[in-house]
Amino acid sequence: MSAITNAAATVLAQADVAEQTADEAKSISAASGAGMAYGLAAIGPGIGIGYLVGQAVQAMARQPESAGQVQTTMFLGIAFTEALALIGFVVFILLKFV
Amino acid sequence: MLAALSNPVILLASEEGGGGVEFPPINLIVKWPALFGEDTFYGFNKIALISMIAMIVPTILFVIAGRNASLVPRGLQNVMEVSIDFIEKQVVMPAIGKDGMRYLPMLMAMFFFIWIGNLFEIIPTSHMPANARMANPIMLALVAWVMFIGVGVKHHGLKYFKDALFPPGVPKALYLLVTPIEFLSTFLIRPFSLAVRLFANMLAGHILLVTFSVLTITLFGAGILAIAGVLSFGMLVAFTAFEFMVAFLQAFIFSLLTAVYIGGALHPAH
Amino acid sequence: MFLASLAALASEVAESDPTDINPVVPDEIGEIFWGAIAFFGLWILMRYVLLPPLLKIRADRRNQEIADQQAASAADEQAEQVRRDYEATVAEANSEANDIIAEARAAAEHERGEIVVAAESEIALERQAALAELESQRSSAVSGLGDDVADLAVAAASKVMDASLDEPVHRSTAANYVEDAR
Repeated sequence: MSAITNAAATVLAQADVAEQTADEAKSISAASGAGMAYGLAAIGPGIGIGYLVGQAVQAMARQPESAGQVQTTMFLGIAFTEALALIGFVVFILLKFV
Repeated sequence: MLAALSNPVILLASEEGGGGVEFPPINLIVKWPALFGEDTFYGFNKIALISMIAMIVPTILFVIAGRNASLVPRGLQNVMEVSIDFIEKQVVMPAIGKDGMRYLPMLMAMFFFIWIGNLFEIIPTSHMPANARMANPIMLALVAWVMFIGVGVKHHGLKYFKDALFPPGVPKALYLLVTPIEFLSTFLIRPFSLAVRLFANMLAGHILLVTFSVLTITLFGAGILAIAGVLSFGMLVAFTAFEFMVAFLQAFIFSLLTAVYIGGALHPAH
Repeated sequence: MFLASLAALASEVAESDPTDINPVVPDEIGEIFWGAIAFFGLWILMRYVLLPPLLKIRADRRNQEIADQQAASAADEQAEQVRRDYEATVAEANSEANDIIAEARAAAEHERGEIVVAAESEIALERQAALAELESQRSSAVSGLGDDVADLAVAAASKVMDASLDEPVHRSTAANYVEDAR
């Protein structure tokens, strides 16, 4: 993170026009913030969906006759878990493309 | 007229002529000029056109299937009955139960409207999912929101809000904590997450496909790097298949969640 | 420093150009307008035009299925009835056949007994006749033998009369006689 902000500082130092400097700093900090937002938001749901699907597969392997019901519940769970990652993605878009 | 509907990636590629990789700005790939009525409330752009197609295609299919409906289904009637069976067995029955068949038309409309809107993500010459703009998802989420609150109020009166905000069986002191959380999760986060789930999935898929398309076109125009372009093209094909699945899955999940919310409002006991 | 740049970003966003709106925001009212028209139109069509014929056909098919099921179970019942009737007829025929067989067997037994009795009486008669014949044969043979013995005795006596009365001659005479008689 400090490397990125350092880079931003370098850009700040090198740029001639004040307006251009502000734009560059803005876009760089926005890009780094966006990247971090999405990267952090992807961790939890990644673990969660992996665990959820693993358990669902186990349940289906134990009781193949109830596979349909388990599948529906699994999709519901994925939808709820995935929402967190998607909100991270939306924040990414919000930050990146102001 | 043509520029309002054609694919920005192809336009971009023809303009670039190969140089460095130049990804299009996001507004170029999701925002479309209006065909008519620019800057009015009836501005009709590509998204609106896809929405209308998403209405017309199921209408035509169902009219053809229902016109010569026979006891022994064949051809298109079979397919449409399978779709009804699918919504009934996978969405209505597990989420609401037998008394949920009243909501079948709404859920069918929702499913087909979202699915066909999504399918335009991978239909050549269009390559734009209608739900990658916030307009349709937020409209559908509001419909779902009004529906499940309306069903709750209709069947339980104002007791619905009391049960939803002050769930029975919780110690009195905990209401201080539970009630704001319940209010947020039921009445604000539900429609928001419904809309964002559909919108973000389709936008992410759209950006993914655009990225790989631009990469493939640029690599094929870059001499020896065309070898890497083959890999990129393979990824593009694979992601197209993946997005085909996502298009269906998001339509299914949106209708399923709407049904679950309606079922929760209809039978608050569980 | 990062936070400071974020704050700067936030202030920039606040005063940014209104025409450059973020793609997340649904800024085009027309999209919502036409999307709502399309969705509610599809909903109303589904409710009143598109689904009813197919749902009706499905209900009809279900009723038909139930009716067919009932007809099938009725037909099953009927078949069961026919089978039972048939089995009863077969059982009747079987018992009748058994009766006939028993009757025939009894008649045959009776006939056999008669035949056996008749045969036995015939055999007894024949045996008696044979025995009688045997007896008469034997008596005639015995009487014949008596005549022969008398003849022999007469012949022997005549031989004795003819020959001298010394002992060895008698013996040889007797021996000759026995030799002759053999």
